[in-house]
Amino acid sequence: MSLLEAEHVKAYYRVREGFVKAVDDVSLHLDRGVIMGLAGESGCGKSTLVNTLMLNIRPPLYLIDGRITLDGNLLSKMDKQTLKKKVWGVLVSIVPQSALNALMPTQKIIDLIKDIVHAHTDISDSEIVSMSRRRFEELNLPVEALNMYPHELSGGMRQRAVIAISTLLNPKLLIVDEPTSALDVSTQKQVLKLLVDLRKAKIIESMIFVTHDIAVLRQIADRIAIMYAGKIVESASTDDILYNSKHPYTYGLINAVVTPEPEVRKRGLISIPGEPPNLLKPPSGCRFHPRCPYAMDICRREEPPLVEVGEGWTVACHLVASGRR
Amino acid sequence: MLLEVKNLTKIFTVGFLRRKEIVAVKDVSFNVKESEFVSLVGESGSGKTTTARMILRLLRPTSGSVVFRDRDVWSLRTLNDLRWYWRQVHGIFQDPFASFNPLYKVDRVFYQVFTLLGDNDVDKESLVNEALKEVGLRPEEVLGRYPHELSGGQRQRLMIARCYLLKPKLILADEPISMIDASTRAGILQLFSKLRDEYKTSIIFITHDLGLAYYVSDRVLIMHKGSIVEEGSPEEIMEHPQHPYTKRLREDVPLLYRKWSGF
Amino acid sequence: MVSQLIRDLLRIKKFDLSVAIFSSILIIGLVGPIVYEVDPVKMIGPPEQPPSEKYPLGTDSYGRDLLAQLLHGIRNSIYIGLTAAAISLAIGVTIGALSGYRGGVADSSLMLITDVVYALPSIMLMMLIAAYLKERNPIFVALVIGVTSWPWVARAVRSQMLSLKSRDFIYMSRMAGLSDIKIIFEDLIPNMASYIFMAFVLLMSGAMIAEAGLSMIGLGVTRGVSLGIILYWAQLLESVRRGIWWWFIPPGACLVALATSLLLLSTALDEYFSPRLRGG
Ligand SMILES: Nc1ncnc2c1ncn2[C@@H]1O[C@H](COP(=O)(O)OP(=O)(O)OP(=O)(O)O)[C@@H](O)[C@H]1O
Ligand SMILES: Nc1ncnc2c1ncn2[C@@H]1O[C@H](COP(=O)(O)OP(=O)(O)OP(=O)(O)O)[C@@H](O)[C@H]1O
Ligand code: SF4
Ligand SMILES: [Mg+2]
Ligand SMILES: [Mg+2]
Repeated sequence: MSLLEAEHVKAYYRVREGFVKAVDDVSLHLDRGVIMGLAGESGCGKSTLVNTLMLNIRPPLYLIDGRITLDGNLLSKMDKQTLKKKVWGVLVSIVPQSALNALMPTQKIIDLIKDIVHAHTDISDSEIVSMSRRRFEELNLPVEALNMYPHELSGGMRQRAVIAISTLLNPKLLIVDEPTSALDVSTQKQVLKLLVDLRKAKIIESMIFVTHDIAVLRQIADRIAIMYAGKIVESASTDDILYNSKHPYTYGLINAVVTPEPEVRKRGLISIPGEPPNLLKPPSGCRFHPRCPYAMDICRREEPPLVEVGEGWTVACHLVASGRR
Repeated sequence: MLLEVKNLTKIFTVGFLRRKEIVAVKDVSFNVKESEFVSLVGESGSGKTTTARMILRLLRPTSGSVVFRDRDVWSLRTLNDLRWYWRQVHGIFQDPFASFNPLYKVDRVFYQVFTLLGDNDVDKESLVNEALKEVGLRPEEVLGRYPHELSGGQRQRLMIARCYLLKPKLILADEPISMIDASTRAGILQLFSKLRDEYKTSIIFITHDLGLAYYVSDRVLIMHKGSIVEEGSPEEIMEHPQHPYTKRLREDVPLLYRKWSGF
Repeated sequence: MVSQLIRDLLRIKKFDLSVAIFSSILIIGLVGPIVYEVDPVKMIGPPEQPPSEKYPLGTDSYGRDLLAQLLHGIRNSIYIGLTAAAISLAIGVTIGALSGYRGGVADSSLMLITDVVYALPSIMLMMLIAAYLKERNPIFVALVIGVTSWPWVARAVRSQMLSLKSRDFIYMSRMAGLSDIKIIFEDLIPNMASYIFMAFVLLMSGAMIAEAGLSMIGLGVTRGVSLGIILYWAQLLESVRRGIWWWFIPPGACLVALATSLLLLSTALDEYFSPRLRGG
């Protein structure tokens, strides 16, 4: 049985002009022990999707439709109280996109931990302190950081502390939203190492890693899902995405990656023309058609179906559906 | 030589009661030739932006000099001399959100620079439209809007469009810290390469991503704790890094087709 | 944008309350003297009459109508407050902006002047100037207050300026070859507009109180009435001890209401603008 199962999930923001269709009919599943990367351009709905998957939604965002099951629990039917007690922090934790700046400046890291843990369980303070110390030691983080204020820590250290805190209660699933985008490469590597170690130490089972940087995903993800304009357009193992991708948007994204490698130098630098669409009025048919070099008539009219092209490999593109790729 | 940077040093004094000195840039020297693409690479806080601001004559160095076409930049005093300088040396800043005055429509950043061009008989509107098209923006989509109505990528392009309008001899481009998508980044890099190829513009490209630097530059300068610790062609730097910091930097860049060991 | 701003502000209770109090007194001061056509400085009846139908707020020891005095007093006090605040603001913003923007020698010398004016007990300075001017109409009093109460504005504007001037958009304007004056007026001051407006409100409240203070020590206006001058005469003729309450309570209450409504307004504005200023 997979750990997370989402079927036909729709989550829209209600705004004055109508609905922003940030997550529109997304289905995905995540197996135990797997690190899945979620990639796509800014504004395509990555943050909205991962927050929806754990039912962390508040107006103007609404869950319009869909079923979400996590570790056998039907989250989409649970009320806020149950989610708070039984799910968040215990089964699934998220490190949100702005976590680096979201820490209370007047609170020491250890006090922050106490607050968070008390929200879920009634472990005693001294127990929490020793738990935290053990965890920081286990992950090779400096224990002194526990008694410091957020601003006394460097950006990378702060991010690692946040990750350690979020996983204190050993959630089965950890979601990290752009954890390294504000960090430089050396600090980024330390944070990525920590994430991998979490799984090695069996503190977490699975992880969803959100980013627009495919080179980072290549280093840690087993699978990659590519999102465009509120939809998952391709989902496959990391190697298939890198070497055999079938969706024009996927290889557009990959061709735009610039890393110091001979392969990249050889193929040259190719960017995707145009900008992502406005999700208030997404384009008809295939949402990528205004930017797609292969767009056909049918692409403008009909939405491409999600087709399974291999073991755990799905693509939504008319080229694939009609057997031309 | 187009630009010579000699022994540039900047020391900030911070704190009120307990004064502390921060050496942000320490004895930095390098040259830039015509139509050369030079990358300045270093981690956060290594002094890249501070160096750029001193070259742009926006921040006064503690010591050292910046010489552009045999004129010491910090000896330029009159507004006319300064305009002469900024006409030829222009900058693009790190944060596309902070680069626009929130109270004015974005059009202002273009109409401002016509004082630098000095020619009043030009058809300003068509020049602006042309520059926007060069960077892949539709004038009707961006003109007349306020900065907060545009995405980070659009704002970044607007600043580049300003450079297309001016066609300076040297551009200092401070790359945003990953707030911009990888795919948008590739497009922006192409815009700089185009400026260089078509107008022989020299570019000092500032980034913490060695990957980008390797790809576009003629020469790479590695900056660490305020000093330039290594300098060479992108191939030299990637294949035979000398300084331990460069070696570490190279190892830490995530690659697309090679996986890190131990992960 | 402006209409949105006003709509947002109207949602703040403190803002509504303070604006309501201030503007109703202001309207009384503006319209009152036109509707109630009695000369405030002429003897029109018996002295020290309590309020009655004929003299709605009674009369003072010289038989002058106190309602007429109050109406004209409000008008002049607000006038002095506005003018003095405008003068202080002009001086304070100019000095603060220049010294923050230019830095170096200009900054040190301007801040020296500011410190000197700041350190001098301002009431002394006011006394000196006021004593020198024997004939004092409201505009002189406003001037005296205005030229002595700007230092804190200069300091505040300077520190705002220091944080604004290293913003990238200022660098964008500098690189476009704009003159310093243009940058100050187009980029810097508009971005401090909400801040400057708050300073104006505070200055005005302070100026009206300073006017009363000057009047109380006999250095207020010599021509016309102001709230301070009414209080001065009431005090001089021992109205409090003699229980002539209708002489000192109405002008005192008006002064307090004006000054506190402005203080309240400035806290409301502060609450509204501060998080935004911090955000960007
Ligand atoms: N509170 C909101 N109200 C209305 N629309 C919103 C709101 N928050 C986000 N959106 C819109 O929903 C869409 C998806 O946003 P989301 O933050 O999920 O994107 P993202 O892929 O995480 O982008 P990024 O890479 O920039 O973090 C965007 O078009 C965004 O403008
Ligand atoms: N105005 C200032 N006052 C005091 N210290 C400053 C100031 N500006 C920069 N610094 C310090 O100087 C050092 C170099 O900063 P700089 O912004 O040049 O780094 P950078 O290489 O551009 O970093 P990043 O990649 O994060 O943009 C840092 O330690 C910074 O804190
Ligand atoms: S469905 Fe059509 S438009 Fe969409 S990606 Fe495939 S080919 Fe391109
Ligand atoms: Mg996001
Ligand atoms: Mg910088």
